[in-house]
Amino acid sequence: MKTKLAITGLIIATIFFAPLTSTLARGDDFDAVVRAIEQFYHVKHQSLPLLARAGMKGARTVARIKGGDYKRIADAGSVRLVFFEDQEFNSHGRIAGFKASIQNSLNETWSPLIATLSAKDEEQTYIYIREAGPKFHVLVVTIERREATVVEATVAPDVLAMLMKDPGDMGKTLTDDAALNEAETRP
Amino acid sequence: MKTLFQTSLKLAAIMLLLIGGAAITAHAQGARLQIDQLDSLANKASETVDVKLDEHLMLTAAKIFSEKEDADIKEILKGLKGIYVKSFEFEKEGQYSTADVESVMFQLRGGGWSKIVGVTSKKDGDNVEVYLMMQGDQIQGLAVISAEPKEFTVVNIVGPVNLEKLSKLEGQFGVPDLGLDQPKPKKSK
Repeated sequence: MKTKLAITGLIIATIFFAPLTSTLARGDDFDAVVRAIEQFYHVKHQSLPLLARAGMKGARTVARIKGGDYKRIADAGSVRLVFFEDQEFNSHGRIAGFKASIQNSLNETWSPLIATLSAKDEEQTYIYIREAGPKFHVLVVTIERREATVVEATVAPDVLAMLMKDPGDMGKTLTDDAALNEAETRP
Repeated sequence: MKTLFQTSLKLAAIMLLLIGGAAITAHAQGARLQIDQLDSLANKASETVDVKLDEHLMLTAAKIFSEKEDADIKEILKGLKGIYVKSFEFEKEGQYSTADVESVMFQLRGGGWSKIVGVTSKKDGDNVEVYLMMQGDQIQGLAVISAEPKEFTVVNIVGPVNLEKLSKLEGQFGVPDLGLDQPKPKKSK
């Protein structure tokens, strides 16, 4: 009887707390990546006023990619974006160490898809994917010599299929889309 | 008594299936090369590309691609357990060592791997080797090691690979151009 009660309790607890755990994990991972960048490069993320400019830049890029016929990539309201501007991103010859710290800051639910690094130009892109019910979360980290962005967005399976065919462009496309989305939703 | 016998028989069948499944999985896992030790080369490389499509992502990819538009890709991906690519480009020669290459090559000696192509150019210093892991007449894994003076690339595909259709993966999912294009048949006059 006690065992049955314990099992029932466990099931109820799982049903009630699983979504909460998932939500917390989502926030933790995004924030953990931002913290990893701040700690490794000794930089601070910035917010609103600069995002408008990023949005304008993104809008132009996305429109160009789509041949003028723009279609939103990420689900509405799903985008989280952090921007670092006009700060120095110098890995001092330890770019592989930064790759490891990004990997360590994410839990195992994220699958790494692609990482591109250029030690000379201090340019890096990391893309991670994880399932979110019938959709997918995509996390993109882009680092350049003077700026960086971290984007997390929810995308539909057909959009992910389109993006996965060319993972090299995936990061830029999603980041531009997120920047535009952010610029449009802010007053 | 009969019921007990039938239950035992069912259990034995399930056990056999589990053991068989585990053996197949273990073999497919055996085709996965350990290449993360190369990551430190990124510190010296001018360009690094690291693609990891693990089994979980492969299953996802197989699900999300359209039956109509992406039928070819979907068929190639079906059954694959992973695609792993590490590619390093350097500005100068001698930025990676024979120990780096050897850390991958030693895994390809024995363990079911057979070299099917080996091209060495003494003039250019290029060295390309292609290995297959076979189980019966089915390919369980493929490895391409390309070591050039200023470039080092490892491609590892795990699972049943269809060589004829593999060229369709080139340029997609971060897989570099492996020169796998099928020769076009000559037109008869």
